[in-house]
Parts: sequence; C-alpha cells; structure tokens
Amino acid sequence: MKRLKKLGIALCWLFLWQIASILIHNKILLAGPIESATALINMAKTPDFATSVVTSVLHIVAGIILGGIIGILLGALSIKFKLLGDFVSPIVTVLKSVPVASFVVLILIWIGSDNLSTVIVTLVVFPIIYLATTGGFSAADSKLLEMAHVYRMPMGAKIRFIYIPALIPSYLGAFSVAVGMGFKSGAAAEVIGQPLLTMGNGLYRSKINLDTAEVFAWTFTIVLASWVTEKLFFLLIYILKRIFIPASKSGESGKEKQ
Amino acid sequence: MTIDLENICKSYGDLKVLQDFNLEIEEDHSYVLTGPSGCGKTTLVRILLSLEESDSGKVHFMGDYKYPYLNAGVVFQENRLCEAFTPVQNVVMVNRKNSAKVAREELLRLLPADCLDKPVSQLSGGMKRRVAIVRACCIPSDMLILDEPFTGLDSENRNKVIKYIREKQGRNPLLITAHDTDGLEFCRKIEL
Repeated sequence: MKRLKKLGIALCWLFLWQIASILIHNKILLAGPIESATALINMAKTPDFATSVVTSVLHIVAGIILGGIIGILLGALSIKFKLLGDFVSPIVTVLKSVPVASFVVLILIWIGSDNLSTVIVTLVVFPIIYLATTGGFSAADSKLLEMAHVYRMPMGAKIRFIYIPALIPSYLGAFSVAVGMGFKSGAAAEVIGQPLLTMGNGLYRSKINLDTAEVFAWTFTIVLASWVTEKLFFLLIYILKRIFIPASKSGESGKEKQ
Repeated sequence: MTIDLENICKSYGDLKVLQDFNLEIEEDHSYVLTGPSGCGKTTLVRILLSLEESDSGKVHFMGDYKYPYLNAGVVFQENRLCEAFTPVQNVVMVNRKNSAKVAREELLRLLPADCLDKPVSQLSGGMKRRVAIVRACCIPSDMLILDEPFTGLDSENRNKVIKYIREKQGRNPLLITAHDTDGLEFCRKIEL
C-alpha cells in the first residue's frame, strides 16, 4: 500500500512535468519525461555510454573508498592522540567550507583532469567520515569503557565490542551523505575538468548542444548510479555488522525487557 | 593479600560522603557494606578500584601484591553489559582465557539455556544481573567486588546467586554492598 502510494505520487509528478513541458512547448527550456526517457534509451545504445558510466563510477567510488579510509584512520588516531586531532581540525574545517569549484580548479592545475574526480571526491568524503569516526568514538558508552578498564580488556576487544557497535550507526548516516555528496561533487568536477568518456563530460556536451532531454537523461543516470552505490555501501556495512555483532541478527534493536 | 583502607575521606562539593573511613580487607574474608542510599558505598568501591581518588587517606595493597591496581572481578551498580552481544560473548570478552564452552557452563548455573544465545538487550533485568555476576566470577582475580548485586533478583535467584558467589570466591576476599543483608550472614557487616 505504501509502495503504491509512493508510485502514485511519482506518477503524479511525472504527469505535472509532462504538462509543464507541453505548456512551455520549448524543448531547450524544458524537455518532458517522455523525451528524456527516449534520450536515455538512445544514449544507452551507444558504446560510449557504458564506458562513461563505468569510468565515472569507478573514479567516484575510488574517491569514496580513499576518503573513507583516510577519514577512519585519521579519526581513530585523532581520538588516541589529541594533538593530531587539533592539527587535523583546521583542515577538516577548510575542506567542509571551501566550495568544491575552488578545489576543482586547483586540482586541475596541479594534476590535470584524469584523476580529478577521484581526488575531489576524496576531499569531499574525508571530512564527513572523519567527523563520523570521531563522533562515533566519542559516543561510545563511558560506563562500558570504565568496565573495560577495570577488566583490563585488550584494545582489540574494546574496538570490537564497544567501539564498533557505537561507530556503525554513525557510519550508516555518514556513508549515505558521503555517497550522495561524492557523486554530486564528482560529476561537478567532471563537468569542469572535462575528462573524456565520463558522465560529467556527457552532461557538458549535452549542455553545449542545448539538448535538455539529454541533460535530464545524464542527471537520471548519475542519480541512479549514486543510489546503487549507496545501497552497496549499506550492504557492506550490514555485512560488517553481521560479522562483528552476530547476535544483532536476532533482533538487537528490540526494546529492553525489564 | 591484604588491602588496607586508611583514613579515606571523600566529599563532593559540600557533601561529605566518606570521613576517615578505615578497613582492612583480608584474604578468606567476606564483607558487606551497608547503609542508606548516598552514604558512600559505591564511592568506596570506586576508590578501591582506582576509578576515583580520595580527597585524603590511602589504599595500600599489602604483601607482595603483583599489580599497581586491584585485579578484581566486579559487578557494577549498573550491569554494564554490551547489549548487542550474547551473555556468552559478554563473559568471554573480558577474559581471552575463558572459552565459550566454559562461559556457557558457568552461565547455565544461573540462567536458562534458551537465553544464552540471545542479545543481552532481549533479557530481563534479573537475567542481565546474573550475566554480570557470572562475568565477575569467571575472571581470574584477586578479589570479588559486587555493588548491589541482588538488584532485580527474586529470593530464589538471590539464594542461588549467593551460593554461586561463595563457591567462586575461593580464598579471595569478597566485598558486597547491599541494603538488604538477608543471606549474607557469612559476611562481616560494615555500616557506613
């Protein structure tokens, strides 16, 4: 029932979009959903389409993984060594607040356009995962940590039984944001940097040709790729959760009985 | 091993909870600390475990004690269990030498078999308490410190737990804090 309702709402919006495109009656200003879908099908038939999607996704996912690893490592080390945390903090603030376009231009000057999206996505994802890591570590139950101290639990056991359960909810939210932001910034970097055979390059060419239907088709492709990647990351986190917290499969989220 | 608590004083702001408290904890002896809420029972336990510092006075570990801290099996006032993990995992995680088989055998003495593989979050308050007690008793330690261990237990389980604790105590000293000292007649009573 809930799915039907969602489908109904989506169809309603598509209908309104189609009506608006008919009323405006200018394919350059607003292409309708049927024209955009046709453009997507035509694009998908060309050999360059698959190459562009795979190249962009691989570069962006590489950036997400790199940013994630750096964020997790530096976040964990910053909790252990406060001085390092103080040292990294200004960089995190800068990366969070400086516009992506500024970084794109600088990275273009420094390394060219080949791995531009990977570097940009790394820079965008790193502060998100870094803050999720420091936040997750800080959210670990202080009473459990005291218990671990009294029982002289080894660091490995503390990480597995206390920190990882505290980090997983933090990472679920953070990776959702990171993947979305990664695809947005990665596509933007490709539009500016123009690496050949990428989704951003396709989007740019559509803009040059004033082909609005293709712009919509590329946008839909980017959103779909982002959605699939986000689901894959969630699956990975879910698998890790099942490995590290096997008991959670029998309903850990259930409310405590008293 | 003997632990000497000498002139322990502790206050929180204007509130004095412990004043010149003295106690000698000896091997093969059991003690029950009793008194009204807020009289300093838990504070004393925390000072003994080096989790808090006293304002003045000292805790001496006498004899040839090998650690700079007290190596104790502890039941905290709260259960302090890792809720997403099973009772067996909770017992094993604090001591790598505990095998899952041994942990299971120990837990079965106080808990029904069907709850051993459920996450602790799904157990009742009394069951969680018993898991915390087994965890404290299964770790090789030099002393057992149990802060209000009988919270949430009915009289049948309370008696079972007391029997279990006495058996696991061996020659180690035992310190229990409790409001109700029923069944603890074997302990030296210390009023705070």
